[in-house]
Amino acid sequence: MINAFLVFNGSGQPRLTKFYTQLDTSIQQRLISEIFTLVSNRPPGSCNFLPLPPLLAASGTSSSSSSATEQNDVPSFVTYRHYATLYFIVISTSTESPLALIDLIQVYVEALDRLFENVCELDLIFNFETLHAVLGEMIVGGVVIETGLDKIVSGVRAQGTVVKRPVNEGRGGSTMGAMAAGFQGMGGNFVWHGR
Amino acid sequence: MFEKSLYDLIRGLRNHKGHEKEYIQNCLKECRSEIRSQDMDLKATALLKLIYLEMVGHDMSWASFHVLEVMSSQKYHQKRVGYLGAVQSFRPDTDVLMMATNLLKKDLAASLPTLIALPIGALPHLVTPSLALSLLGDLLPRLSHSQPAIRKKTVVTLYRLALVYPETLRAAWPKIKERLMDKEEDPSVTAAIVNVVCELGWRRPTDFLPLAPRLFELLVDGGNNWMAIKLIKLVRTPDLLFATLTPLEPRLVRKLLPPLTNLIKTTPAMSLLYECINGIIQGGILGDGEDFSAREEVASLCVSKLRGMVSGNSDPNLKYVALLAFNRIVTTHPFLVAQQEDVILECIDSEDITIRIKALDLVQGMVSSENLVSIVSRLMRQLKASSAALLQQQDALEGQDVETDSSDETGNGSRRRSRPKEQPPLPEDYTIDVMGRILRMCSQDNYSNLVDFDWYIDVLTQLVRIAPVHRAKDPDLSSSTSASTQATDISERIGNEIRNVAVKVKAVRPAAVRAAELIISRFSTETVSSRPVISGALKPLAWVVGEYAYQLLSSDDTLRNMLNLVPRIDVPEVLATAIQTVPKLFAHIAEDDQALWTSQRKSILSLLMARVIHVLEPLAQHPYLEVQERAVEFIELLKLTAEAAAGQAPSTNELQQDPPLLLTQAIPSLFTGWELNSVAPGAQWNVPIPDGLDLDKPIHPNLGSLLAQADHLMLPVQGDDEFEVYYNQKPAPTSISSGPAIERLVDGPEEIVGSYQQAGEESYLDADIIARRKAERMERNRDDPFYILGSSRSEGTSTPIHNILQKENGPDLDIDSIPIMQLDLDKLNLGNNGDQHQQRSASSKPKTRQRIVIEADETLGGSGTATPRHYESENNSDSFTKSKAKKLKQQSLLHVDSSHLMGLSLGDADGSRPDDGFAHERQQREEAEMAQAMKEVQRLRLEMQRANERIQVAQGVPVEGIVVKKKKKSASTKKAEDSGVEPASGEGTAVVKKKKKKVVKKDDEGGESTVVKPKKKKVKRVVKLDGDDDANNAGSTATAEEGS
Repeated sequence: MINAFLVFNGSGQPRLTKFYTQLDTSIQQRLISEIFTLVSNRPPGSCNFLPLPPLLAASGTSSSSSSATEQNDVPSFVTYRHYATLYFIVISTSTESPLALIDLIQVYVEALDRLFENVCELDLIFNFETLHAVLGEMIVGGVVIETGLDKIVSGVRAQGTVVKRPVNEGRGGSTMGAMAAGFQGMGGNFVWHGR
Repeated sequence: MFEKSLYDLIRGLRNHKGHEKEYIQNCLKECRSEIRSQDMDLKATALLKLIYLEMVGHDMSWASFHVLEVMSSQKYHQKRVGYLGAVQSFRPDTDVLMMATNLLKKDLAASLPTLIALPIGALPHLVTPSLALSLLGDLLPRLSHSQPAIRKKTVVTLYRLALVYPETLRAAWPKIKERLMDKEEDPSVTAAIVNVVCELGWRRPTDFLPLAPRLFELLVDGGNNWMAIKLIKLVRTPDLLFATLTPLEPRLVRKLLPPLTNLIKTTPAMSLLYECINGIIQGGILGDGEDFSAREEVASLCVSKLRGMVSGNSDPNLKYVALLAFNRIVTTHPFLVAQQEDVILECIDSEDITIRIKALDLVQGMVSSENLVSIVSRLMRQLKASSAALLQQQDALEGQDVETDSSDETGNGSRRRSRPKEQPPLPEDYTIDVMGRILRMCSQDNYSNLVDFDWYIDVLTQLVRIAPVHRAKDPDLSSSTSASTQATDISERIGNEIRNVAVKVKAVRPAAVRAAELIISRFSTETVSSRPVISGALKPLAWVVGEYAYQLLSSDDTLRNMLNLVPRIDVPEVLATAIQTVPKLFAHIAEDDQALWTSQRKSILSLLMARVIHVLEPLAQHPYLEVQERAVEFIELLKLTAEAAAGQAPSTNELQQDPPLLLTQAIPSLFTGWELNSVAPGAQWNVPIPDGLDLDKPIHPNLGSLLAQADHLMLPVQGDDEFEVYYNQKPAPTSISSGPAIERLVDGPEEIVGSYQQAGEESYLDADIIARRKAERMERNRDDPFYILGSSRSEGTSTPIHNILQKENGPDLDIDSIPIMQLDLDKLNLGNNGDQHQQRSASSKPKTRQRIVIEADETLGGSGTATPRHYESENNSDSFTKSKAKKLKQQSLLHVDSSHLMGLSLGDADGSRPDDGFAHERQQREEAEMAQAMKEVQRLRLEMQRANERIQVAQGVPVEGIVVKKKKKSASTKKAEDSGVEPASGEGTAVVKKKKKKVVKKDDEGGESTVVKPKKKKVKRVVKLDGDDDANNAGSTATAEEGS
């Protein structure tokens, strides 16, 4: 199952945190900063998987000695994708397929893109409730419930209108507004059609 | 109105770059007052802002009650904020959850689908066993809601409910199954169910066997890749195919293989392809059995696909997952992986650390004596390059800004980003990991893969140099302590390896000792003299140079270096060892009794002693006792020696003078004796107990009085005796000690007993010394007939074994039970066993491969009576507790414990035969629930009591006190009666319990409406019903009844 879904930007500021187990705020922050240090030091062209951050590694390595079934309960993958200024992180156990998780993040971002039309980081900053809503349509309690783009989008729309980014907060004036550009090239980036 | 919206908050945050903290604190303050307002809109906005701030790391647990208030709002968008707040901020210890039950019930029964979705989506985050119990009934009907979106969410929520309250499954599983079997069901609901089944499957494979046909059908013509992946994951679960389904397995495999192969050949989706391969290999479909050729074909197909993924310039993600697959295969099909050695080795040099680590995992299992050197040198090259880069950076950093030292993390980050062109240094924990792996690979199976030890020593020397050393300031930072202890740990491990080689491989001992000497001289010269030395390697290395001082190139230089280092060591354990090294080295320098006692030699040695004493003197006050003791011992000894040396006039031309014996004989004899060998952990337990030794028998019938007598002895007198022994007597191994030996006899038993009993508490170094002293004593007294006859204790333990070993082929010796000997027999020529003290001396054969074990604490710990079997069990229990501790640790973070599910059997879903284990479980749960309810009641009661007290204080009723007292008494007696009855009649208690439950429920209803007053009224009723259960609260009951 999925243990956590995180979004933060290139300087480590969280944009969405969702932990599927109850965790202290301070520990959440530590975990985020640990993952951020890992993710921000990746050389270009490396894979989308991170080694376990120290906080999780303690349990991760010890699980290798315990039985295989035990291992399924413990977070063992940290999958990430990098779009423009944002990092999307999924922490999951070994019952999830690592490649499918990459696709899952893709679906999430595509859904956001559809809802906001050329989404950029600003949209996410000001509408973090919508971020939660989209995630809620895809993952419940750490289990993926929907991967179909249309259903996700309609599910979110059913909850109310999605607010567009504030007009005066123009994309041109923002340093982080390049997100949309990241999506243009996105379609061709990854080729497994996992869905 | 000047309240900020979330939008304003975020804009403000962005406009206050630089002093966000201040701004946030202000906002928090505002939110605190806003959230208390009566205006629901304001409340909800404040909550939304708090949720945003929580994401950034500002605790909002204090607002949990307000979250509840917003949750109960009538407006959907406010409610949504409330639920979001609950999901994001409720923690296991949030106590307002009890009050939410009815709200959740109500929302679950709402007519609007979006409204129903809120509690369903939030429940997985909030659920507790008691909540699950009370909501199960409301949740189940949602499984057949008209909207598929609700249905699929409900399925997952039920799964999460089952995790904390397994009983859920009993009720929910049949319905979920029904959904799954329904071919008309919405495909996304089916997919969600498959996901849940996948999560449940590995825990409870048996229950899903009946589903196999349907799942198979879904796999073959489901057309949904996501679902297919999950289904294959389910297949992959080894249990499903192997352990539980053994009778069914062949059929299933035969059925599965064609579609899987088909998928592999046709699917365009890489993820599905990978999972198919993974599933085939993991599910053991490659395994043995009939139909060999077909399997062979599949196997080669899979492995070749994986190989394609790993090799060359393929997608790094594929590389990673392929390595992941190899890592899984390697346990079952090592030969398949071994064929891919070349491509895997390439991955070690990948610039992506994730891939490297996975490759290393694999490589570690593939080392052999042929490829060890090449693998290790690959790794060493990486490490060296990284450490060079790091050094460069540090230099640059030191030049521009020294202060960033303290904030390590930010410093690292900025440094790395500022120099993107160069190869960035490897992260510290990775470096440590790799070093650990190098050591493990080389020392595996007692160095069986290692051919060239000189090379190994060079590698180790290099490793010590590049091992990450945490900076002196770091220990203050709590976040970095784990990393820094790791760092000292790894350098200590490297040092330990040098020591192990020095101890075990006699042929390269000179080289090892010289390496140690070199490293120590580097330590003393290269580091800044004001900074403490923190490399953990110093400890074993200091031991090596001390123990094998005769192999040193220059013991004078080494002693000087050690004296330089000692004041700068700040780890007491290391310091203790280093202190020990100093007199060892000194003894070696002073030992030479052939040389003339010239005035030059006299002055050199006197100066040296003065220097040593000067260095050790401050340590006599050291807070760490071990250090203190050693320092004091050696200071006193050296002072005496210095006195003796000063008293001995140097030889002149006419008169030949011998150097003082204390210098040339006594001190060296402290440290020479038998050579120390590595002892297997637990070897101690394997020493057979000699015949006639009864460990349970008291050592002396009057031990108590003897000890009391010993207490009366004046300490200084004893000390003098000791010194006299050292001073007057030449403690040559063959000497027959007359007077002093008898004196020792008196002390003998007590001394030995002391060391036996303390052995468990002392660190291994300590024990080391004890062992050596014992050995020395034994050697000194070996031929002393008085000693042997007189001391029954030492005779019982050591002498018979010793004799037996000398005879070697004694009929009653169980050679196999002494592990060291066993190893000697295994690995050495039998001829070598002619050695007299086989147990202690190493064989002289070069590059022997003795058992590689570092003397561990367990060797000497525990009770002296332990038999080998005892040792085993103790060891087991030790590892058991360790694993338990690990488990606890695991559960601490992000770990969703699903182990409860194991206990529940779905087989008897109709509940026709409730098994005892389950009934017990349920009972326990009920009890826990009850306890929780009682706690709540208690709390409310206290609250009310306080309120009452306030009233009383206001009214000023003095007589009340007496009444309370009386009531108290009666209440307590009542309680006694009650507790007397309770165990006798179970029915009665059940009734009581039921009553309580009802009351609690009522209480909840009261709590749900946010008004406070009516709640209190109801609580009063509660008090009346079961106020007698707690004598402590009798006073409050009394007042409560008074009030009503």
